[in-house]
Amino acid sequence: MRDNTLKYLLVLPAVLVVFATAVWPLIESLRLSFTVGRLNRPGSLDQYLGWENFTWAFSQEPAFWNSVWVTTVYTFLTVALTTVLALGLAMLLAPGGRFRSGVQTLLILPFAMSPALIGVSFRFMFNPEFGLFDAFFGVIIPPLADVSWLADPVLAFAVCVMADVWGWIPFLTLVLIGGLASVPQDTIEAAQVDGASGWRVFRDITLPQLAPVLAVVIILKSIFSLKTFDQIFMLTNGGPGTATQTLSHYIYFNGMKYGQIGYAASVAWLMVIPMIFLTYAYAKFVFRKN
Amino acid sequence: MTTSPTSDQQNSGRRSGITGKQKKRISWALQSFLILIAIIIMLTPIVWIFMAAFKTHVDVYQLKLFFTPTLENFGLVFDAPYYLGDKLLNSTIVAFVTVVFAIPIATMAAYSFSRFELRGETAMLVIILATQFVPAVVIILPFFVMFRDIGLLDTRLGLILVNLAIVMPFAIWMIKGFIDGIPMETEEAAMVDGSSRIQVIRNIVLPMAAPGLLTAGIFCFIIAWNEFLFALILTNKDAVTLPIGLALFKAEEGDLWNLLSAAGIIIMLPMFVLALIIRKYFVQGMTMGAVR
Repeated sequence: MRDNTLKYLLVLPAVLVVFATAVWPLIESLRLSFTVGRLNRPGSLDQYLGWENFTWAFSQEPAFWNSVWVTTVYTFLTVALTTVLALGLAMLLAPGGRFRSGVQTLLILPFAMSPALIGVSFRFMFNPEFGLFDAFFGVIIPPLADVSWLADPVLAFAVCVMADVWGWIPFLTLVLIGGLASVPQDTIEAAQVDGASGWRVFRDITLPQLAPVLAVVIILKSIFSLKTFDQIFMLTNGGPGTATQTLSHYIYFNGMKYGQIGYAASVAWLMVIPMIFLTYAYAKFVFRKN
Repeated sequence: MTTSPTSDQQNSGRRSGITGKQKKRISWALQSFLILIAIIIMLTPIVWIFMAAFKTHVDVYQLKLFFTPTLENFGLVFDAPYYLGDKLLNSTIVAFVTVVFAIPIATMAAYSFSRFELRGETAMLVIILATQFVPAVVIILPFFVMFRDIGLLDTRLGLILVNLAIVMPFAIWMIKGFIDGIPMETEEAAMVDGSSRIQVIRNIVLPMAAPGLLTAGIFCFIIAWNEFLFALILTNKDAVTLPIGLALFKAEEGDLWNLLSAAGIIIMLPMFVLALIIRKYFVQGMTMGAVR
């Protein structure tokens, strides 16, 4: 067979799979978002409704805006905390050696954990009666000794952020260690010989060199934070009330629990829009490398 | 080192008259201390689950560090009414079959992307990359409706089909990275000697890429194994997987933490082993080659 035919035949199955499992559902979701779309009403999935689902979300649903707000704050906090802490840890571990390499190996563990299980484990850790973290925070911050973390809107949100940061720091750290390895060591040494302080070296040499990797890390983490579902579902299930209800959770609830699949699809598509921008930014970095 | 450097040690570093050697030792101590804290924070939730899984249902509801370990929880989770064995089987079959489908398809595409110039290649690669970032909840709504209509709800087959959506992009990008790393000379030499392209792929590329394919396979297995949202929406009885099975361990009086923890170990331990095997490629795989 000629290469010219073969090369397209080789990609065909993959392209078909990607179309069937990702592109088709995206388009079908878009179609559903303009329908009445009730799971329990046959025919309503083809009943055209216009923009009503979208206007409903914007004007009639405080719960929608709540989940937008929760997701935004959640994304901002988890991205910022994870990046800063991972950068710190990466700089601690980057020099290598047996001890540090051993720690780097350990970093794989939280990342191999199912996010659902991370949610369960943090619910366990913050149990008011026998949770280890609950007890620990009770000792170092006495006013928190008698609170039930997951019953308090703000603290439950804080636990969700902690669980997410805990789960993602290891991965981001590994990426950043890779990035730090490419910072030229002789430039740093030269600056140190010239008497530059540790902070100056970090700000003027390390950070600019690390910028592309940091950008990749921040974009990737933003995407995963925006999508967050598993952990929250197992940890707080959106509660107390709707205090920790992210967009994914809101969509899940409307689509699956209330059977309003048309409405859920429209909100889901609102969520796709920021993703497009982030993916575009990410793709630019990937193709610059290749 | 187990004791922390005290704050006066830190302060003394800033005082004049201290030698460079001392300064280095203080910095070493401080760094070791911080790394130690990081390890503790990282391992505590995992260790806590491991401990709870071996506690009796009396001990688990107390903050106990020392207790008499028991194996009974691991027996209980496989018995009525939990039957975790069924979920274990479902998870294994779903993750395994997903990988068995994904890797060959991804390898073919990856080879083509790596070795040839295709029309619309960049567009295809971007779309493949982008699908990874589409929120799972968007993908699952139409699939739920379709599977309900054709009777694929609560089946392993349905779950395998949607799982392909999440592993394919990783698999293609990861394997493409491995094939990019294989020099083309051997292939060209074999072609000059009269081998066909198919023979070259079978006899030269596949053996050389085998470790990479295995790595990508393990990576995809972990992702499919840990997948949660699809299984939550598509299954309710027969095809329930392990992560969804976690929700079983609730009684009227609350969570059954000793059983939850035992189930948790069964979910995470195999993945720990697999992740350690492929740890060198983890970063590359997750970032789809944006960071190497």
